[in-house]
Amino acid sequence: MGNIFKKLGAGLLVGGVLVGIAHSQELPGTFQLLFFIVSLIGAMVFMLLDARPLSTMSGGKSLFAVIVFWILMVTVCVAGASFLPQFNPADEKEKIDKLLKSQRAASQQGKAEELIARAKALDEQVKALEERLKGLGSGQATVASLTLPAGDKPSSTAGASSGGGGDFMKVGEEQWQLQECYNCHKLRGEGGKKRGPELDNIGSLLTVEEIQQKIYDPKSFMAEGYEKEYQKGIMPNKFKDLMEPKEMQALAAWLGTFKNTSVNTPKPIKKS
Amino acid sequence: MKKLSGDLLALVVLCSLCVAAATSVYAQEVGVSSVEFPYTGNRTAVWVVAQLHILFAAFILGAPIFVVISEWLGYRKQDPRYDRLAREITKVTVILFSMTAVTGGLFIFVLLAAYPQFTTSFINQFYMVFAVMYPALFIAETILMYAYLYTWDVWKGEKKGRHIALGVLLNLVCLLILFVINGPTSFMNTPPKAEGVSPQDFLAAATLWDKIANQSWFPLSLHRIDGNVAFGGFIAGMIAAYMYMGAKTQEERAYYDWMGFAAIWIAVGGSLLQPFTGLLLAYEMCDYDFSFCPYMMADQLSMFFEMQGVMIGLLFLAINYYSWLSVKRIEGAENVRITILAPIVLVVLLPVMMWVMNTYWIPDPMSLVFLLPLTLSPFLLGRFVPKTVSARTVIKIGFIIMLISDAVWLTPAGFVATGSDMPDDMKLPEGWDYLSSMPAKLSAILTLVFVTVVNFVLYNRTIKQGTILWGKIDFASQFVLIFLAFTSTWIMGLMGAVRSLLKKYFHTYSLVSDLSAESFTPTLSYSSGWITAITVFFIAIVSVAALVALRPSVARVREPEGSPVPIAAK
Repeated sequence: MGNIFKKLGAGLLVGGVLVGIAHSQELPGTFQLLFFIVSLIGAMVFMLLDARPLSTMSGGKSLFAVIVFWILMVTVCVAGASFLPQFNPADEKEKIDKLLKSQRAASQQGKAEELIARAKALDEQVKALEERLKGLGSGQATVASLTLPAGDKPSSTAGASSGGGGDFMKVGEEQWQLQECYNCHKLRGEGGKKRGPELDNIGSLLTVEEIQQKIYDPKSFMAEGYEKEYQKGIMPNKFKDLMEPKEMQALAAWLGTFKNTSVNTPKPIKKS
Repeated sequence: MKKLSGDLLALVVLCSLCVAAATSVYAQEVGVSSVEFPYTGNRTAVWVVAQLHILFAAFILGAPIFVVISEWLGYRKQDPRYDRLAREITKVTVILFSMTAVTGGLFIFVLLAAYPQFTTSFINQFYMVFAVMYPALFIAETILMYAYLYTWDVWKGEKKGRHIALGVLLNLVCLLILFVINGPTSFMNTPPKAEGVSPQDFLAAATLWDKIANQSWFPLSLHRIDGNVAFGGFIAGMIAAYMYMGAKTQEERAYYDWMGFAAIWIAVGGSLLQPFTGLLLAYEMCDYDFSFCPYMMADQLSMFFEMQGVMIGLLFLAINYYSWLSVKRIEGAENVRITILAPIVLVVLLPVMMWVMNTYWIPDPMSLVFLLPLTLSPFLLGRFVPKTVSARTVIKIGFIIMLISDAVWLTPAGFVATGSDMPDDMKLPEGWDYLSSMPAKLSAILTLVFVTVVNFVLYNRTIKQGTILWGKIDFASQFVLIFLAFTSTWIMGLMGAVRSLLKKYFHTYSLVSDLSAESFTPTLSYSSGWITAITVFFIAIVSVAALVALRPSVARVREPEGSPVPIAAK
């Protein structure tokens, strides 16, 4: 028993020291907790290494022990995974809805849903007419405004809008999020910084058409200092297949507004 | 033979279903509505049956590899234990073969019901594979598997070589099945493409070979081959643990103690290759489309990989703890010593490797100039250094190094579910972020592998210098064997989910979108619940199969021999 306490004490001491060092280096609390937990696991490991041998079990006793062990393993796996930070699917679902909107509308299921929506809208119009007729019949003139069924409105492509310049920029910004450009490019202080160049000053270095060309064909331009990434083809060339032309234009136009000269966006080099 | 005809009938039905689906369903109006599976939803229904099928298939493809090796070792060393091990695992494999066929049929049924349009078009893409090659290979495997089992007693003694050759043929067919079916599987993740050609245009002109031999086909196959060997070993170890716990005599206990030991070292051999083939697979996928990388490591799947790190860390700790318990039961183990270079290299390896990998990252071969001499020095130069250390001390130092490596392995860039939302105060500060880099991760896993190899060398040295007391191992070791089987199954479930989720909102990446409402990344909590349920169900079936297959043979071994025939009666 004394041995167990000694090892536990050692584990707590090591954990405390690690937490102290991590804290002094301004590591976030979650990392301090990680190092502390690993120290405690270490203490448990060393307790097991020097533990007395477990006596042989057989029959019902061993079956009971196995079942209890199973329950313990299941609990650790399910609980352990649940304690880690969880991604919110609602964020992704919203993005996917926008990305697949036009495909879903064009699919058989989408068409069926559109028909159902139109039928519902027509049904409401019929009810509104009936009310109006009743009103006319009883001498009361009620004006019921007729609205077009939703399906008769001009259909809009995913994310694109034929509205004013502000909407167009909004579409561009939306595409930045939907296509997850932030995974490789830092912009406005957010996003990955090492895989692709920071783009806060791209509007000063490329025209909107050139930016669009780069998105369409990543091999058309190379950022200075990114020779390795260019050779490896790190920037995917799938956007021309995934994005509508209007969406690409909107994204390029939005990126073209970024002209922050205080950020060192690398010079783009035209490639044939 | 009744079982064989039953299996063949099931296979014929399955093939008919495939062919019927491919022709008649496709000939109907495109846009057949799908079945809505209650409670689980369609995506999880497919997930559960697919994962179960893969687990059973992994066992029946991996077990024959070490069964044949075991049989050959028994033949060479004239040690009946190896032959008994091979035969017993084959009996369990044959029972699980039926489960593989059942879950395979269920898989096709659920796919057709849940995603009829996609499934029929996918079958058409790979018609030759699903309708001809795979069923033919499956029939060949069935015949060979049953022939291998039922000729065990007929082809023995001088004819043993024939039986081993039959086993080798069985393994070749199993490998072929693995490569063939990995074609469509990997196609869904990395369909072939060409610069300047749209994926749809390329696909229209692509041959069957173009579709099969896509970028992740070979890495996936390699990863699954050594994964299957490791998985088969861990499951065999669990079977040995159950039989050890139920053993009535010291001889049985001694045999199943040995079986657990043999199975685990086969599993460890496969496991040591897994990190490298896994990294190769990830590398090829990221090379195909770089957006896979942030999705896996920085975004929605980052905490899935954190959980993978936890489970693999525990797996390596458990493997080496079993090794420790194995050493403890050897008489004279406390006298075994090893060169002082071993613990020195253990201590310096991780920091040196992290520095070298950061400076000379893959594929720069300069890293080998530093690391190869360092790792080989205890084995090559040890005899020239007079100072030695006790084996037990080295093993304990190894455990400390493993814990440090686990800590490095588990350190992410930040403990958030998605990197794009990571606030600065959750990130590792500048100067510490190298801990979350790929060089650090590779260094950590290589260190875990190195410690395991050192422990294996120490174990072998201890056997040579001491006396093994089979059947006297600490009973806790049997729980370690069960833990290893559970953990390896769970990790397979997790990685299967990751591979499938990498397709994001596509059925076939960048080609066929999944327009259903379920085409999003599920939470880690939801995923781990289903992975655990699948693991428990699978292990329960395997446990029942093992008890059904092996308890009668143990009872037969226990029965006393019949009394000798009197001379007069001859």
